[in-house]
Amino acid sequence: MSNTDLNEIREEIEKFPISTSEGLEEYRLKYLSRNGIIPDLLSRIGDAPPEQRAMLGKELNQLKNLAQDKFKKAQQDLKSGASHKQKATDDITLQVEPQPIGSLHPITQVLDEIKSVFFRLGFTVASGPELEDDFHNFTALNFPPEHPARDMQDTFFIRKDENDTSNDRVLRTHTSPVQIRLMESQRPPIRAIMPGRVYRNEAITAKSYCLFHQVEALYVDTHVTFAELKETLIILAQMLYGEDVRYRLRPSFFPFTEPSLEMDVWWGNEHKGQWLEVLGAGMVDPNVFRAVDIDPEVYSGYALGLGIERMAMLRYGINDIRLFYDNDLRFLNQFL
Amino acid sequence: MKISIDWLKDYIDTDLTVDQIEEKLTLTGLEVEGVGHIGSKLPGVLVGKVLTCEDHPNADRLKVCTVDIGSAEVSIICGAPNVAAGQTVPVATVGTTLPVTDKDGNHLTLRKAKIRGVYSHGMICAEDELGLSNDHSGIMVLDDNLKSGTPLSEVLSLYEDDVLEIGLTPNRPDAASHLGTARDLAAVENKTLKKPDVKIPDAGAEVGKRLSVEIRNPEKCHRYVAKIIENVTIAESPDWLKNRLKAIGLRPVTNVVDATNFVLHEMGQPLHAFDYDRVAGKKIVVQSYEQTTKFSTLDDVEREVPAGGLFICDGEKPVALAGIMGGGNSEIHEGTKNVLLESAYFEPVGIRKTSKALALQTDASYRFERGIDPNITLIAAERCAQIIADIAGGTIVDGYIDVHPVVTSPKELSLRISYLNKVLGTDFKIDEAVDILNRLEIEAAAKDSDAIGCVVPTFRPDIEREIDLVEEVARIFDYNKIPAPEFVRYIRPAPLPFTETFTNQVKTAARSLGFHEIFSNSLLPEKAAKFTENPKDIIPTLNPISKDQALLRPDLLYGFLRSVAWNFNRSAESVRFFEVGNTFRHSEKGTYIENVQEETHILLGLSGLKHVEHWRTEPGQYTFFDLKESLKGFVKLLGLSDYLIERQKDNTSLLYFLDEQQVGSLRKISDDFCNYFEIDAPAFAAEFSLTRLAEFLEKKSEDTYVEIPKFPPIDYDIAFVLDKSTSSGDLEQTIREAASDRLIGLRVFDVYEGESIGRGKKSIAYRLLFLDKSKTLTISDVEPIIQKITKLAAQRFSAKLRS
Repeated sequence: MSNTDLNEIREEIEKFPISTSEGLEEYRLKYLSRNGIIPDLLSRIGDAPPEQRAMLGKELNQLKNLAQDKFKKAQQDLKSGASHKQKATDDITLQVEPQPIGSLHPITQVLDEIKSVFFRLGFTVASGPELEDDFHNFTALNFPPEHPARDMQDTFFIRKDENDTSNDRVLRTHTSPVQIRLMESQRPPIRAIMPGRVYRNEAITAKSYCLFHQVEALYVDTHVTFAELKETLIILAQMLYGEDVRYRLRPSFFPFTEPSLEMDVWWGNEHKGQWLEVLGAGMVDPNVFRAVDIDPEVYSGYALGLGIERMAMLRYGINDIRLFYDNDLRFLNQFL
Repeated sequence: MKISIDWLKDYIDTDLTVDQIEEKLTLTGLEVEGVGHIGSKLPGVLVGKVLTCEDHPNADRLKVCTVDIGSAEVSIICGAPNVAAGQTVPVATVGTTLPVTDKDGNHLTLRKAKIRGVYSHGMICAEDELGLSNDHSGIMVLDDNLKSGTPLSEVLSLYEDDVLEIGLTPNRPDAASHLGTARDLAAVENKTLKKPDVKIPDAGAEVGKRLSVEIRNPEKCHRYVAKIIENVTIAESPDWLKNRLKAIGLRPVTNVVDATNFVLHEMGQPLHAFDYDRVAGKKIVVQSYEQTTKFSTLDDVEREVPAGGLFICDGEKPVALAGIMGGGNSEIHEGTKNVLLESAYFEPVGIRKTSKALALQTDASYRFERGIDPNITLIAAERCAQIIADIAGGTIVDGYIDVHPVVTSPKELSLRISYLNKVLGTDFKIDEAVDILNRLEIEAAAKDSDAIGCVVPTFRPDIEREIDLVEEVARIFDYNKIPAPEFVRYIRPAPLPFTETFTNQVKTAARSLGFHEIFSNSLLPEKAAKFTENPKDIIPTLNPISKDQALLRPDLLYGFLRSVAWNFNRSAESVRFFEVGNTFRHSEKGTYIENVQEETHILLGLSGLKHVEHWRTEPGQYTFFDLKESLKGFVKLLGLSDYLIERQKDNTSLLYFLDEQQVGSLRKISDDFCNYFEIDAPAFAAEFSLTRLAEFLEKKSEDTYVEIPKFPPIDYDIAFVLDKSTSSGDLEQTIREAASDRLIGLRVFDVYEGESIGRGKKSIAYRLLFLDKSKTLTISDVEPIIQKITKLAAQRFSAKLRS
């Protein structure tokens, strides 16, 4: 008589279904009657080796108690009609309705992640209007009067004065005007990120939408250097894309920074992949400082900006930017 | 912009591989966006002699040939109609990969193959199979004198090249040519740039007798150089020139035109060749007109050039649209004998305006509008004239005309090494910076221990200031090599603005109440206006590319309903959405910008089935009260429960106030609006101005912990009978007003209407909860309060106690 056998019998007893008095009698006969399994086992204790008898006796007694308890309970239940009262809906395996659960949009989630990185680096947050004037969106950021971005083709205008561009009102084309507002309202040191919605007068396709979201970071103080910008970008890339991220910096051009750069990260594995641009950055152009009355001989600074949709698309392998604005529940439910 | 590697190597000696060149250029700021390979040297394709040519035993149209390929005689099956013994032919040997592709785009690689029972060891090729032309009429037959086994590449001038696609930033017009690109590469590699050797003759001389040039708008045309080449023969260009142009995607036209395109892509100077004999009055006048002018460009399109557009005219009429495209009336044609070559500097802004207005961008306008080198004009003209004379015969008429009303001199700048190191955080020595600048043809020399005097060549209009020189040094040095700083300072972080923490709190609250966050378009179609409360306050966009982006959203409702409809149309049964976003309205004052009220709003909305058909619940749609319930939770989570005042606006909407300022609303959305989106289910939305809530909360002092009461509360049920028209909200307000601050809870537990209480009446039953901090209340403590309540309710609403 092994333990395994006893365990099997115990399980059988536990699972034995008793819903009628016939079933109860069947149970009694099988396990508890004089010829039942348990009395039979008890009678054979003597067959076991002497050193095992005590242990076996103890276990068989427990089994007997279990079988008797189940018998009594079932007898009681049958008498009180409990099992007849068990309703179909008392079955706890029945399925339930889903609980409505809320979620944050993937753009919010990615932005929150970016924010948390910058907060660790000591940045605060600033914001500004989406409907901007020419000065903040263009002039102060060193866009020459004839810059293509000032063309009606590329930018949503709210007001356009052919004779005096300073009267122009636009939907901001980038979050950089917030830099200007921040530097107008506060003297250095300044260390802030500026997330927000920006607009481009473009047809809506899988690749472009008439608006998207950016985060911009600005750090202005005495002795801010390009090397420090580079270090910050590397920290940022490692925090956002992993410690082992492969990156490169290459010179680029923006009117409001000099020197300017773009950062690429390697997307793929060692053998196959491609460089993908993830952000633009540079040292704040002296002309920008002059526009907000900060002395570029005393102060220096860096600015960087990245597109949130672009990062989310890379991260999740999304290939159609419109998905962010359709708000299809089958999409949103993947970002709970 | 396309750059041919083969062409690039005309100007720099380098052993770099294509991949290395790609990387070097990208890291200097000329971003290579793609690399393509064109042509093939056809390795493995040899000259062969067809020794025998017999009919294939098992196929009517095939021949079995024995071909001598030098090293061996092989058997090859051929299906071409013209194959015959004795021919000298190109043979692709086993293992060769051919330029032709199969239907899946894979290149064909030859294997030993059995064709209808006979082995074939290679392929006798037609021109198309070798990528030489589209000819597939038969196999290519070569000169009989060629030796078997000779690689075909030694016999034909086969061309092969790699082509870079460079995304040029707008500040680098100097790099919009092969020479300019080579200059950056030479600077990084510290190599010599091999410029083409151009000899400048004396001015005037004979040309001056044959042509006069006048510039009437010198502000738009700073310089105009003319050369004349006579007695040319218009023909196809030689292979080397055609290959150069084909490599960068240009279609060869004729030798003269190809020569101008070659120099454009070599040096970045756009040139135009006129048929000299078609230039009336032997006179060139550069001028713009004050009125719109019709002009047929050489692509046979009549264009309406807006006033101010600059033209090249002859003695009678416009002959070219300056800097953009020539005219049909003066273009080079088959019979052209004498060529007038133009090389000019046109001012960028004017070219860009005209080019934009006509939606016509050419290789020439692309360069002019970015700013070409004003001092390469003459060199390029001479270079081109020499090439034309070389390839089209003819002679260069002595001298040149150079009208140069606006002279651009090289800029002189000073760069302090201390400034450079301060900006970059580096430790450059003055000699290192001087060396890098010189490699870029910036004449740099140390003036003292700190300052470097720099003369910036005119092909770099982007270098205007000291900081621009800093960038030059950094980019040629390589940004990636700039060492990490020894330490990064950590400045005292500024506190987060209240709006930031508040917005997070708001989003977290909405999510916790089971709402999905959505992002919708801030730009609405024109037709959305009629569904908003004050259409005249809506701000339109002036120039939307689509009518669907005509208005700035005054609230978040449209985006919500659009998303509801989108999901209902895709089998969703229920939606619970929230959005946080900016809204725009005209106003007297304005938030940031005069007359523009830009505020951040939150919308909470729901529609559809609250319960689907399920064993536990009857199916049922969301009602107004479901959203009101969520809103109550939301308000509580924001800590506004004690301050927010609700007022009824009409039967389907409630307004909310803080300090008598309206801050939000809750409503059932109108049937009209729902019908517009074909939403059948009722939809409800609560919208609040976060800007106003934040203003209120920021001023409010922070809540502190209130001790948990030591004494139990006492409850008291009371029911009023009153007119149906009286709103329960008003009655509730009255109860609260009349009760002392001992009233800590108030719950409507029954609403009843029926004959027994009278027509036009309703009964509302409240359970009131009273508590005193310092003692256990008894009924006698509460009764006076109840009396006050009933008295005031009777006064205001003629409400009677229900017995």
